[in-house]
Formats: sequence, C-alpha cells, structure tokens
Amino acid sequence: MLKVLSPGIFTTIQDLGRQGYTHLGITPSGAMDEYAHRWSQKLLADVDGNALEILLGGLTLQATALTTIAVCGADLDFCINGISKPIWQTYNIKEDDILSFKERKSGMRAYLAVKGGFSVQKYENSFSTTLKEHKGKQVKTGDTLPYHAIQSSEVKRVSDKYIPNYPTHMTLRIVLGYQHKNFSTSEKKKFFSSKYTLTPKMNRMGYTLQGEDIIPNHDSSSSDGIISEGISFGAVQIPPDGQPIILLKERQTIGGYPKMGSVLPSDCFKLSQLPIGATVKFEHISLEDAQEEMKAFYGFFD
Amino acid sequence: MHIETASVDSLILYFEEHICEEVLDKVQHAYHALKKLPHIINLTPSYHSILIEYDIYTHDTASLTRVIEEAIDSEPSLDAHRQGKLIEIPVDYSKGLDIERIAQLHSLTPAEVIAKHTAQTYRVYAVGFMVGFAYLAKVDDAIATARLSTPRAKVPKGSVAIAETQTAVYPEESAGGWNIIGHTEFDNYTSFEIGDRVRFIAL
Repeated sequence: MLKVLSPGIFTTIQDLGRQGYTHLGITPSGAMDEYAHRWSQKLLADVDGNALEILLGGLTLQATALTTIAVCGADLDFCINGISKPIWQTYNIKEDDILSFKERKSGMRAYLAVKGGFSVQKYENSFSTTLKEHKGKQVKTGDTLPYHAIQSSEVKRVSDKYIPNYPTHMTLRIVLGYQHKNFSTSEKKKFFSSKYTLTPKMNRMGYTLQGEDIIPNHDSSSSDGIISEGISFGAVQIPPDGQPIILLKERQTIGGYPKMGSVLPSDCFKLSQLPIGATVKFEHISLEDAQEEMKAFYGFFD
Repeated sequence: MHIETASVDSLILYFEEHICEEVLDKVQHAYHALKKLPHIINLTPSYHSILIEYDIYTHDTASLTRVIEEAIDSEPSLDAHRQGKLIEIPVDYSKGLDIERIAQLHSLTPAEVIAKHTAQTYRVYAVGFMVGFAYLAKVDDAIATARLSTPRAKVPKGSVAIAETQTAVYPEESAGGWNIIGHTEFDNYTSFEIGDRVRFIAL
C-alpha cells in the first residue's frame, strides 16, 4: 500500500467518472485532465483504472510493498527518496520508497497510478471521488491506499512529442449549441474576440472567467434565466453578471443559465492544467471537426 | 418537439417552453423511449427537455436524430398506470420553521396551509441541484410563496419546503432559500424519477 505521510493541498482518487446516473442528479465526476490520466493507464497497460489526482502538490507517500507507478500531468517536482525524477514515465518502486510532489512548477494536476490500480471502494461503478456526494474522501495523513504488489518488467516513457507544455494562454474551441441563438451577433462577436482571465473561482465543478460581459438578447426570455435543463461537459453558461462559467467534471446535472455551447473536451482537459491568471480565447469549431478530433483523441488511447 | 446540438457528444430534445403537466408527460414519454436505445451514455430529463449524451463512435447526429424520433413515435402512449410511481412522504409539519409566516402571508391558519400542501398530488418535474433533490409541482396558488430574500446558510436534511409553486425535500443539509414548512425522515431520495407522483402525509 501507499501510506500517506502528507496529504497535499487536494488529493483524490479519480477514474474516468460514473456514467448513466445524471437523471438522479449524480454528477459524472472523474479525472479533470483525461489526457494525463489516460497516459498513466496506458503506460501501465491498465484499462479503466484509477489514479491519484494531485492538485498543486504537497503530497508525500511511502510504499509498503513493491509496485510499478506511472506519473503524468503537472510538474509538481516529483521525487523518489528525495531525488527529482522526470515524469510521463513509469518507475519500479520497492518497499519503503518515499514518493513526493513538493511544489508546482507547471500545470495544476498530476496523476499517480499504480499497476493494477488502487484497491478502493467503487460507488455506482466508479472509483471517482465526489466530495459533495460523499463518494470517497480527500486523501488525509495516515490514510493507506492499498494495491496488489505487482511490477511491470520494463520501464515505459511517453515520447517527447506527446508530452504537453502547459501554456498561460490558450484557445478553447467551442461547439455552438443550446441557447447560442439567444445571443445577438454583436454579443457573440464580443465573446469570440475577447480575452478572458481564469479567476480563483476554479474547482472540479467549473471555472469562472473574467472579461467582457456577455448579455443575452433583451427580447428573449433567457436574460434572467431559462427553464432548467441538462448541462453537458464543457458547457459555457452565462449567468446574469455576464461572466462566462465553463462547467467541468463535477458540474451540477441541471441548471437554468443560458449557454453559448460547449468547449471541446480535449480543450477542457488542457484548461484544467492552467493556473489562476492564465488567459483564454474562444474559437468556433464545427460539430463534424469536433467529433473527428475527439474520435482521434479516444482512439489514440484505445 | 425539436432536437438541437448541445456539445460534441450530446443533443438536447426540447418540447414546448412551458412548465406544465402536459409537457411533463411528453418528457416522461420520450424518456421511456430513449432509455431503450443502445449506446446512450447519459439521459438528463428536466421540465421540458432531455439532454442526450451519446457514443460518437456508433451514432452520428443525423442518424441519431432519426432514431430518437422513431423511438418516440413507436413508444406506447403513457396510460394512467405508467404516469410514474407514487411516492408517499410522511411530514412533521410542527417542525416547519416558516409555516407561521406563510400562513400569515396568505391569511390562513397553519392547519389550512398543511391541508393545502397535503391535498395535492405532485409530479417530479426535474431532479438535480444535488443528488435526489426533486422539483415537485404544482403547489396550490393559495400557499405559493417566494423564496427567502436571504437564503439560509443551513437548511436541515429532510426539510420539506416551498418556493413559488414548487415544493421539495432537501436530501441533505445545504444552503437554501426555500421556505421550510415541515420535516421528514423519508430517506429514499434516489427513487425520484421524472414524472413520478408524490404525496405528502401529515403526521
């Protein structure tokens, strides 16, 4: 098992989320950055496994048995026994090894997976922690994270061309949908030409942006809310203050603010690695191009 | 009925933009039909719409739109027996923090407020906000009451509450601005599904 010596700022177990329960108000949850999470699984040749999602670091763990680990995602100064190690690769770990993530260098969330996954409880078919639904808990000092002591024979590493740089500015591609027709041409133009800043209001539910106000048509009924309806991953909702909110893995299942459309999932994964103060712009992508892009994304990991 | 794009892998099916039982029946009927379709990842019904998240490898939007329309057309109509299950919720109205105020506001006695709240059979129009929070309507206009101007920081679990013409039970402690008229020990919150019928029974 891994013994938690220091829990870090916010560390939880995540897989790819629980699907098929939104009609009960249960949020899908799951890894905020599926790209890094899926790489951690691919490196270990695991399928549908879980990993620790480590926000910003401060986590120290001690292994009590051998295993192979994979570490992907944010650079949080990962060390084994106090020695800095490159990430996006696997390591064979032996009893008493100390694994630590000291502090953020780039990105926001690192993923640590063990071969075969952590043997922890599933809730509605998923390992994903959702605190507000009392499914799983935030990792605490003294916790033990059990696993089967098995090791991969060879060390694997992600080739450089697949290792992302986490920028401080990015373009989010958006599939227009929902109430986009309720925004005038000039409001849409403003939305797609403005730069928005990531605020401290960022968590697993969603990211609130700061920038130009976007106001729905005055003649539409949607200016002060719409009839509550289902919210898709990446939906960009515009509350009455006009500041867009991008809804992510732990979004509420229904809501009553008008929405411009939904950000491409692969761009949402990158967004989840951007810090407060980073900036984003929006760009339209056709549904056909968006589906091609996501098929390529998922196909790469299958 | 019309179907629109919501995201790269979801469509949203809309009925008339009204909150009423006639539209709810259409949503519930369509929801029954869509539950039978393969390769659907999540269905989120709510008031006048259903969000349909699908597998993009097996469905494209044009063919899925046809499949959805055909499924709804061929779904048998809802008869009286299929208007959702009946859920009965026992309520201790003596624990209603706002019941005196609601009574005064509407020139009623608390007993009359209770009588009006228990007289209706409500329908589940949506489930969300938190797990198992069912939006129930329609509350008798004679006791319909606007939300509190300042929401409470803590509404106890099991609070039975009113907001305008909607009523609900808080499945767990939460902040909230609904008027609390009673308390229930009912604890089967994940049983609420769109279209279900709900009655409150005064203890």
